[in-house]
Amino acid sequence: MTPKLKKKRTCREIVLAGLKYILLVAGAIVMVAPVLWMLSTSLTPDSVIISYQLIPSKITFENYVRAWDFPRVFSDSVTLGTFFFNSVLVSALITGPALIIDSLAGYVLARRDIPGKNLLFYLALATMMIPFYVIAVPLFLVVRKLRWLDTFQGMIVPFLSSGFGVFMFKQFFQSVPKELEDAALVDGCSPWRIYWSIMLPLAKPVVGTMTIFKAMWSWNQFFWPLLIINNIKLKTLPLALTMFRGLNVTEWGTLCAGMTIATIPIVVVYLLMQDSFQKGIVMGAVKG
Amino acid sequence: MKSRPVAEKKRVLYRLGEVLESYTMLAPAYVIFLVFIFVPVVWAFYLSFFDYSILSMRTPEFSGIDNFRRVFSDPVFWTALKNTVRYSLGTVPTRLVLGLLLALALDQANLWGRKIFRTIYFLPVVTSMVAAAIVWSLVFSASNNGLANQFLSLFDVAPKGWLSDSNLAMFSVCVLSVWKDLGYVMTIFTAGLQGIPLELYEAGAIDGATVWQRIRFITIPLLRPTTFFILVTEIISSFQVFTQTYVMTSGGPGYSTTTLINLLHNKGFVQFDMGYASALAVALFISLLFLSWVLRKVFKADEIVY
Repeated sequence: MTPKLKKKRTCREIVLAGLKYILLVAGAIVMVAPVLWMLSTSLTPDSVIISYQLIPSKITFENYVRAWDFPRVFSDSVTLGTFFFNSVLVSALITGPALIIDSLAGYVLARRDIPGKNLLFYLALATMMIPFYVIAVPLFLVVRKLRWLDTFQGMIVPFLSSGFGVFMFKQFFQSVPKELEDAALVDGCSPWRIYWSIMLPLAKPVVGTMTIFKAMWSWNQFFWPLLIINNIKLKTLPLALTMFRGLNVTEWGTLCAGMTIATIPIVVVYLLMQDSFQKGIVMGAVKG
Repeated sequence: MKSRPVAEKKRVLYRLGEVLESYTMLAPAYVIFLVFIFVPVVWAFYLSFFDYSILSMRTPEFSGIDNFRRVFSDPVFWTALKNTVRYSLGTVPTRLVLGLLLALALDQANLWGRKIFRTIYFLPVVTSMVAAAIVWSLVFSASNNGLANQFLSLFDVAPKGWLSDSNLAMFSVCVLSVWKDLGYVMTIFTAGLQGIPLELYEAGAIDGATVWQRIRFITIPLLRPTTFFILVTEIISSFQVFTQTYVMTSGGPGYSTTTLINLLHNKGFVQFDMGYASALAVALFISLLFLSWVLRKVFKADEIVY
């Protein structure tokens, strides 16, 4: 636990440390086994029956070509690329605007003296306590009334603001020293100007973590698009992946190639920005 | 003398403008909350007392507590509740214990490969649940080629129908779920451990406490708020399990992996029996609020801001 406290190691301690290490490695193998197995299957020709080999005897990239084109079975005009594009579009159009909307509200709640401020803050907190399934049915009806079923706006607009985002930004803006604003106030700057040119640039760390949090959440979102999207051209990646279940049982190579294509981008982003991801997760947890 | 009321007026006008501008800045967030959260919540409670389906052209008809009666007299509901509880019992304690052990094991700053371990254990958290569930359904394939059956064959055990055997299907779902979110629990515990002051351990070491005693009497009690937090969020989210069972087993075989949210999805969005689905959602919501209140009492962890 504490390096400074290291005493002379007894035999028992060394054995225990070794045991711990073996368990950690064994656990790590269990964690990566399905991933490696997916990779190796995706590189194996479907004709070769796969058993017991982690490194395939014959490597092929054909599965990737077939997986990319597979959605054409359902409609001529789509490939996996279509769904990638849709997922990127939906995630970006949720994440970007949500950051602005949440930080605007967070700033006002932290710094502006307006009637009803506390009530509004509690309302924002209350939204965090409502699980999505409670509102799924009526939200579906609201979106249907707006004639947004089977549209991009139906997937995007309901999530453009979150109590969590408002809360995080409010907490951050409250910690910014008042003096920074005072000069601008004396000059008669409007609240909007202060927000845009002083406060928002200061909030870079929160913006960073919130971006990762929101982007990851919207990228992996499944339940809501499943409810409202029917049109294959509008499907996002997670929705489209379920179509792969329709593949013939012998086409494991194609199936695994499809999952690999879908998983690799997020894994690469994660490996590049690990610390921010874990920080984002911890921050997300603090809200409860 | 004349200038004073003018200045006053100007100030009031300025203040009015400032307040209006502030409200305008709040508007986008609160319009979205209103339309897409608050209206639906009220509507959910309202719908649970009405007989309503978007398939029929009829207007919603007040039916009292009929929807609730239908939910509670539906054998599938009780099966789904049982399955959900089984899922919860299969995943929450496992994740909690393994996550804590991992966090403790990796808390040693001089541990070789610590960062690599953390990366590996956290990796499944960032992947999409749908992709993970599809890959794991191959892992649990009933054929000889599935990774799970290949592993069994190393010990000469006959292949099992992991997902087609109604006794094993929920177990398989739990394995996937533990694998997927173990890293999340580990990360939260790690953050909790970092909040424990080093001096306490030093004091413990001076008093001659063994590693086990330090964990038992310093770490565990001080981690109580973190543990409470993870326990509550994990229980609540385990009652909302859907994607795993939807993708891996479609709730089957039979109803053996149908969870409460699978049932809600099926009733509300396949059969479009929206009254039933709303009653189910409202009942679940109230039960979970009650459950987290009870847990809070049990843990006496009121100091945690929630």
